[in-house]
Amino acid sequence: MMSSTIFLHPASYFILGALLLPLFTRFKMQKVILLAVPLLAFWQIHALPESFGICNFMGFELVFGRVDKLTYVFLHVFTLMALIGAIYCLHVKETGHHIAAFLYVAGALGTTLAGDYLTIFIFWELMAFASTFLIWYRKRKRSIEAGYRYLLVHTAGGLILLAGIFLRYQNCHDLTFAQIAVEGATTADYLIMIGFMLNAAVPPIHAWLPDAYPEATVTGAVFMCAFTTKTAVYVLARAFPGFEMLAIMGAVMALYGVGYAVIENDARRILAYHIVSQVGYMVCGIGIGTAMAVNGVCAHAYAHILYKALLFMGVGAVLEMTGKSKLNELGGLYKRMPWALFFTVIGGIAISGFPLTSGFISKSMIIASAGADHRIFLLVMLTLAAVGTFLSVGIKLPYFIWFGKDSGVKAKDAYWNMNLAMAFAAFMCIFLGIYPEYLYRMLPFPVNYNPYTAYHISETLQILGFTGLGFYLMVKYLHPEPKMNLDVDWFYRKGALVFMWVACKPISIANDWVGEVYRTVGLRFTMLVAKALSWFDWEGIDWVVDNSAKGVVEGGDKMRTLQTGKIQQYIGGAVAALMIVLLVVVFL
Amino acid sequence: MVSLLSYLQAHAKVLKWVFFAYLLGTLFFDFLIDRHHPHFWGDSVIGFWALFSIFGCLGMIVFCKGLSHVWLSQREDFYDSEDSDNDE
Repeated sequence: MMSSTIFLHPASYFILGALLLPLFTRFKMQKVILLAVPLLAFWQIHALPESFGICNFMGFELVFGRVDKLTYVFLHVFTLMALIGAIYCLHVKETGHHIAAFLYVAGALGTTLAGDYLTIFIFWELMAFASTFLIWYRKRKRSIEAGYRYLLVHTAGGLILLAGIFLRYQNCHDLTFAQIAVEGATTADYLIMIGFMLNAAVPPIHAWLPDAYPEATVTGAVFMCAFTTKTAVYVLARAFPGFEMLAIMGAVMALYGVGYAVIENDARRILAYHIVSQVGYMVCGIGIGTAMAVNGVCAHAYAHILYKALLFMGVGAVLEMTGKSKLNELGGLYKRMPWALFFTVIGGIAISGFPLTSGFISKSMIIASAGADHRIFLLVMLTLAAVGTFLSVGIKLPYFIWFGKDSGVKAKDAYWNMNLAMAFAAFMCIFLGIYPEYLYRMLPFPVNYNPYTAYHISETLQILGFTGLGFYLMVKYLHPEPKMNLDVDWFYRKGALVFMWVACKPISIANDWVGEVYRTVGLRFTMLVAKALSWFDWEGIDWVVDNSAKGVVEGGDKMRTLQTGKIQQYIGGAVAALMIVLLVVVFL
Repeated sequence: MVSLLSYLQAHAKVLKWVFFAYLLGTLFFDFLIDRHHPHFWGDSVIGFWALFSIFGCLGMIVFCKGLSHVWLSQREDFYDSEDSDNDE
């Protein structure tokens, strides 16, 4: 690829920005870069040609840029969200946090633009690695542990994806990333689908999400809630529209997530479960697979990124100012953090699909496409999930944080940049609701749908009103309790303990025994051989090649000091090395 | 904004009646609209979605809260304490 085309790719701005950030820590230059990069990328995506950045790597054709309407709508919202997220984290002083966020966004953009499976895989893994740091930067024990689990689960998912890619290559020698026909799907395609589904948090492989997101940093969670799952939605929508399995799993997912959102106590865990529910709508729409459904998926992904980020920002502001995110410890904050309340409620009514908000014009499209396809069960399940959405995120969350029993927690409104970012996202939620054509024009298929029919408005008003009545009647049963709820991560969190026990007890005993045998028998023999060899080495060889062995020993000492034994640094180094290799490949 | 919210909280009773009036209003509105293209039988019943959401909402609360109490709910340090047991 020529170096002139490298700056066509919006991800390269973020990678370059990430490289520049540590050099410009003074004079507020860092803040300028933080804002300039997403702005540049947002402007750049309008000027992308249909195809660019095709290069040959070891016999494989890598396609770094493939642009059509499906790509464009996701690029549009990703770069817009990167800008909002950058504003929200302007006050963060840790350069490493910004770098992780930028590389993460670059991964999402790279995946979205990729035209072949290998390129997808590279950026897919970049996303997983970079986002792990957004969890670790919280620097609490729980976060470190959650980060490791997150990384391990995503590595496993990445390996499944890679296995699918290899199998596919063996089957048909074609790694072009395009739609897969339902009839011709093979094991390879299903493995790829599972790899994608893990990132979309489809139960039962969803538990990484509510495990990790509540432990991420305040600003990191805002980025994470937008990119990982929605990139997965994009790749699923590209490759697997019309797969019946996805329709059913999506509808189940919508109810599963919202069910947990009703009972959870931690505000950010409620929102995390609610991502599962919302992505369920999208997965279901992909499964239905009609033009209207895929349009609905894209519209909903666009709207969802904005209002879910807005909710995470609002709750994050409370966490930043009070240090608390558990509903049972909060309450009565409306006098102290009115702006956070105002913006969160806008996010809450948008996610619930009030008329004149973005949820009303996007979610309904998927539900209507289920109806138009005569999938009554899906329609009823998705509508029930909408009821739960308003119950859990629209009412319960703001009620127990800002109203309810006054907790006496001291707080004041968040920093100006946080409020600005929230205002921006809130504006977009309302703007899309009032002027849906702005979004509908970007969708991959021509839109023949008008959300503002009398019947739809009446249906929505009833659903919202009577869900509110349900909350009013049951409010005393909904009081938050300081508890956590089990989920399928139980299997690997408890399973890991069993594994550790096996590793500690039987295996370690066996290991000790083998070690003992080795020490008594093997070691003596080895030492004798080594002595003989080293004599030959020092006296014989080094004499020949002029003491170079001594030089190697000194070099080895220096290498040893480089090894700090911290896995974060190894992984960081590995990612940096990967990036350098990538840049070299791309430039040459 | 704070004073407005405080004012509303002081007049919660009024707010309650406004809310009930709104609920009646939505049902009344459902009589007026025309309903072509019903997707299924529920779409042609007046007030169907009102019933659906009140029972759906109550059912969901009872089911989820019940399941949580009976089975899913654990202490917040459920996983942590197991770790420390293991360390000992």
